[in-house]
Amino acid sequence: MSIVEVSNVSLSMPRTKRRQGSGRKHRLLRIAGETSRSMIPILDNVSFTISPGDSVAIVSGKPLLRTSLTRLVAGTLNPDSGSVVRSERVVAMIGIARAMGASFTLRQNAYLVGGLMGMTQEELTEKIPGIIKFADLGNYLDRYLRVAPSNARQRLAWSLAMAIDARVYAIDGTLVVGELEFRKKCWTAIDALREEGATFLISSHGGKHYRRFCDRGLYFDQGALIADTTVSKALALARKSRQEPGGE
Amino acid sequence: MLVLRDLQKKYTKFRLGYFWSLLEPLGMSLVLWLVFSVLLGERALGLSPYLLFLSVAILPWWWFTKCVNASTKIFRGSRGGLTFSTLPPQIWVMKTVISSAIEFLFSLPVIVLAIALTRDLPGIYILLFPVAFILQFLLLYGIGLLVSSLSVMIPDLARVVKIVLRAMFYLSPILYSISNIPEQMQTVAAINPLVGILGLYRIGWWPQEQTSTTALVISLSVAATLFIAGILTFRGLKTRLFKEAK
Repeated sequence: MSIVEVSNVSLSMPRTKRRQGSGRKHRLLRIAGETSRSMIPILDNVSFTISPGDSVAIVSGKPLLRTSLTRLVAGTLNPDSGSVVRSERVVAMIGIARAMGASFTLRQNAYLVGGLMGMTQEELTEKIPGIIKFADLGNYLDRYLRVAPSNARQRLAWSLAMAIDARVYAIDGTLVVGELEFRKKCWTAIDALREEGATFLISSHGGKHYRRFCDRGLYFDQGALIADTTVSKALALARKSRQEPGGE
Repeated sequence: MLVLRDLQKKYTKFRLGYFWSLLEPLGMSLVLWLVFSVLLGERALGLSPYLLFLSVAILPWWWFTKCVNASTKIFRGSRGGLTFSTLPPQIWVMKTVISSAIEFLFSLPVIVLAIALTRDLPGIYILLFPVAFILQFLLLYGIGLLVSSLSVMIPDLARVVKIVLRAMFYLSPILYSISNIPEQMQTVAAINPLVGILGLYRIGWWPQEQTSTTALVISLSVAATLFIAGILTFRGLKTRLFKEAK
């Protein structure tokens, strides 16, 4: 039984940079729509499965690939071809903090974002004290987010995600949160969840986190899944290709 | 239920400036009334009492512009939480339409005030006022879907929309009555979906506002086309919308 089954998935994403060159020719081309929104291939015919209890690292030099793959698994992005089948709810920890509004109080943000993550109003009312306690933001609950500490967004995001009754998490680059103390708290929470058999898909830029949290690594090169092995082997492959000329 | 929560979001802004949603259209009506009725009083533009005539059309117009302008921004940047939420993105468009509709309902006292000032009570056709409201709601939802998804693809669209809205202000019977337009041009003017809807708003006071049924039918069918076009465009661009989300 697998939790997430990714089969033959291909995906291309629009180029993130809007401006390419500034000359007159480029401007004209952009107006004509030729170069403006070109698509870059990200994933090419990728298949893998995630089983319960797995903790999977996405090892790739391309941040866009990592984010896209996390979103594909979480279901907030649809593949161009192929299919992603989920048998359980996946909590996507991708850009949660950015969706919060600075002119709302923390409580309002919690309702808003929690609602977007699929929690019901009653569920949130019940859980918000716990969430705030985890985030250690009790003093700011009814104050605007813009006056709260700068890392309040991240903390709230984390606490919300941890409060959801789910057993599958897709995390994108948000493992480093706030100051040391809070980070420790989050990491302990993840460890506890892993012991309970929760499943993780983690995308990060540093190998350190991968070694800490993951037991399985997926190594991608040129959009293709090269190796599905242990974390250290995947990281070794990545290092090797970085050293070789022409590698990612 | 989520729409409710989105409204709550908007309410925070409201508390700061609920009175603005009254004062803005009121001020606009007053200025236009001064210019077109007091200063240029000789010319017969629109129907009397002109203050009431104006405000009945200006409020829906205000709703229309606000909503369409807001739609251009719905999916820009990291709004909408498309990166982590699996909820259908349409709810964001719905939210925009609903909250601007509520703003419109809140500004209705302006009309009441205008009635009080002019002492002109509406007739039985006022019952079409809610019908117009519902039609405008649907029209705005359609346009919202269309504009919000397209403006993600074409960032320049927001500017274009602004110009189009400005043009529509003068092309719609807001300052004037549809009966000010020559007979043969009325059908052409009716291509504007607002013609029919504004007519329905006004019909309670001025039954002569809706003279031709063909114009109404044309106007409303354009509105229906926009509604369907919006739904189809949005469906087509949905995958792309998710891709553009950062």
